[in-house]
Amino acid sequence: MKPIRILLADDHTIMRGGLRLLLERQAGFSVVSEASDGRQAVEQAEATKPDVAVLDIAMPNLSGIEAAARISEILPQTAIVILSMHSDEGYVLRALKAGAKAYLLKDSAESDLIQAIRAASNGKAFFSPEISRILVEDYVREMGRRGAEDSYQLLTPREREILQLLAEGKSNKDIATQLNLSLYTVETHRRNLQEKLNLHSLAELILYAVRKGIIS
Amino acid sequence: MTTHETAKSSSTADAVSKESPNRADGRSSDRLSFSARVTLALGFGGLLAIMALAGIDGIRVLRQIIRSDNMIRRQFLSENHALNDIRSELYLSGTYVRDYLLEPDPERAESYRASLKEVHGEMDAAMKSYGQPPVAPQATHYAELAEQLSRYWSTLDPIFRWDAAQRRAEGYAFLRDEVFPRRAAMLELASRIEAINEQQLNEGNQRVDQLLSALQTRLGVTLLAALLLGLGTAALSTQKILRLEAQAQAQYREVVEARGQLKELSTRLVQAQESERRVLSRELHDEVGQALSAALVELRNLSSELGPSLTEQSNGHLAAVKSLVENSVRVVRNMALLLRPSMLDDLGLVPALRWQAREVSKRTSIDVSVATELGPDELPDAYKTSIYRVVQEALNNCARHSQAKTVRVKIRRESSRLILSIQDDGQGFDVAQTKGLGLLGIQERVASLGGKCEIHSELGGGTILAVELPWNDVGSSEVHA
Repeated sequence: MKPIRILLADDHTIMRGGLRLLLERQAGFSVVSEASDGRQAVEQAEATKPDVAVLDIAMPNLSGIEAAARISEILPQTAIVILSMHSDEGYVLRALKAGAKAYLLKDSAESDLIQAIRAASNGKAFFSPEISRILVEDYVREMGRRGAEDSYQLLTPREREILQLLAEGKSNKDIATQLNLSLYTVETHRRNLQEKLNLHSLAELILYAVRKGIIS
Repeated sequence: MTTHETAKSSSTADAVSKESPNRADGRSSDRLSFSARVTLALGFGGLLAIMALAGIDGIRVLRQIIRSDNMIRRQFLSENHALNDIRSELYLSGTYVRDYLLEPDPERAESYRASLKEVHGEMDAAMKSYGQPPVAPQATHYAELAEQLSRYWSTLDPIFRWDAAQRRAEGYAFLRDEVFPRRAAMLELASRIEAINEQQLNEGNQRVDQLLSALQTRLGVTLLAALLLGLGTAALSTQKILRLEAQAQAQYREVVEARGQLKELSTRLVQAQESERRVLSRELHDEVGQALSAALVELRNLSSELGPSLTEQSNGHLAAVKSLVENSVRVVRNMALLLRPSMLDDLGLVPALRWQAREVSKRTSIDVSVATELGPDELPDAYKTSIYRVVQEALNNCARHSQAKTVRVKIRRESSRLILSIQDDGQGFDVAQTKGLGLLGIQERVASLGGKCEIHSELGGGTILAVELPWNDVGSSEVHA
């Protein structure tokens, strides 16, 4: 099996070194380049075309989120994993909008990072358990306080299925193939479910799925 | 940069403390105004007194003049009247004497004699009515006239005893030698008395004239004095008023200036505090936090390298260190967020506000919602920071005092204004009596952006904090923090 080629971007050398050590010990992982700021990360990504780019958010010159947006624009095949100190959903949402597949806290367990890189390289979303917990807790608290009807109940089984596949990072076309539906039907389902849940982007959709515990 | 700020601030403080000597001036002007008050009172009082005295004096003198004028005129008229009576009766007596002497018929002569007697009585009455003249030369003339008259009448006495023949024989001569010369002399005397009377009348008139002119002079002097005193008082008061006005204006300017300096100072303080917090927060988060995270990664590397070979005790230590570091990472992150949430700089105002709302909701049982139509990164930095801090302070107040169940934070644009409102459904408070440091801080921040801030609260009716900030589109009113 081909190893997963990884780009590591963090302005802290020790952090980078530690992460490299941690990742290289894993079978099937190969750190192909390192960057100490956002701009360098974009350049390195362009030069090495890695499978996964692990980016810190707080970096000089160009933030990890900006870098993620550029990389996912230039290299759609490169999956982006955000490794950050920030646990607020604002950052998570921004990262997802910038095209990130996975979002982890820096103090999460090493198994989470490995899992996240694996998931991302397979086109799936991943959030470190703490992030998922925060997002879900917020959501539950909000729903509980508002006493609002859970809009998830409004979805048809088919729509729920499609929601999960979308959240896992599948494209409309993938889903059409997998569920044996026409592309047009999948698009219609997607439009309907987004309307029912009042979600306006794929990023919001993924966040919603995490909150609901549909994906983790 | 921080020392620079401090130096600037202290120079402003110096400028503020320099105001105090002027304030001492203000106190001395109070003393001055007391003496000025006395002067003014004297001036106006004197003015009124002069005018009142002049009026009373004028009335008194005028009355005196009228009285003496009337007296003089009356005396003159009565004297003249009596004199004329005497004179005409003198003529009449002459005529009767002649008629008596020359009348051959005894019966007729007797009637003339009776008429003559009557005239004599009337003349005596006139003399009496003339009264006693007060002074010489009238008195002497009068005495002379009275004596001549009595002599005249006593001269006439013998002729009444004459018979007709004797009258015919000596009558003419008697008339010529006795009656006519005496009569002429008395008439002349009467004329003289009349002349004297006239002269006295003139003198009286002159006296009245003198009195009048004296009154005129006195009135003139009084008026002049009043005018001068009035002018002096007016000049003094005008000068005083002008000086007071100038002082008031100077003080007003001073106050405005001092207020401006204070405002600037507090704005700078707030800015300095904010930039300190930002630096500290960044430092904590990016340096300390990251270093701790790196340490954590290294610890994990260590434990996976040594794991199998370590004793259970060593593994326990390693786990303890890991959990300590993990804890420290969380503490540092929270501290950094409390100082200044990184979302404010990384993600913009709205995400930061939503985070803040969630934090408050988590910490308390208040449901905080944020509603806004603002796009991301729409606001200049000073606005972001101020609005964030205002909301933070307001939410703190709500959490501490209001016992509210829900708080709504709304931000909207209205042409050239940005309107922020924070409304809770708590127990409310008396706005007039409550002025905590938190509210002051809010007002300070709003004022530094040139905005307005209003608080409406009713006991039991919740509280609305409404903030209005001027906003001429993006960045044009930007204040660099």
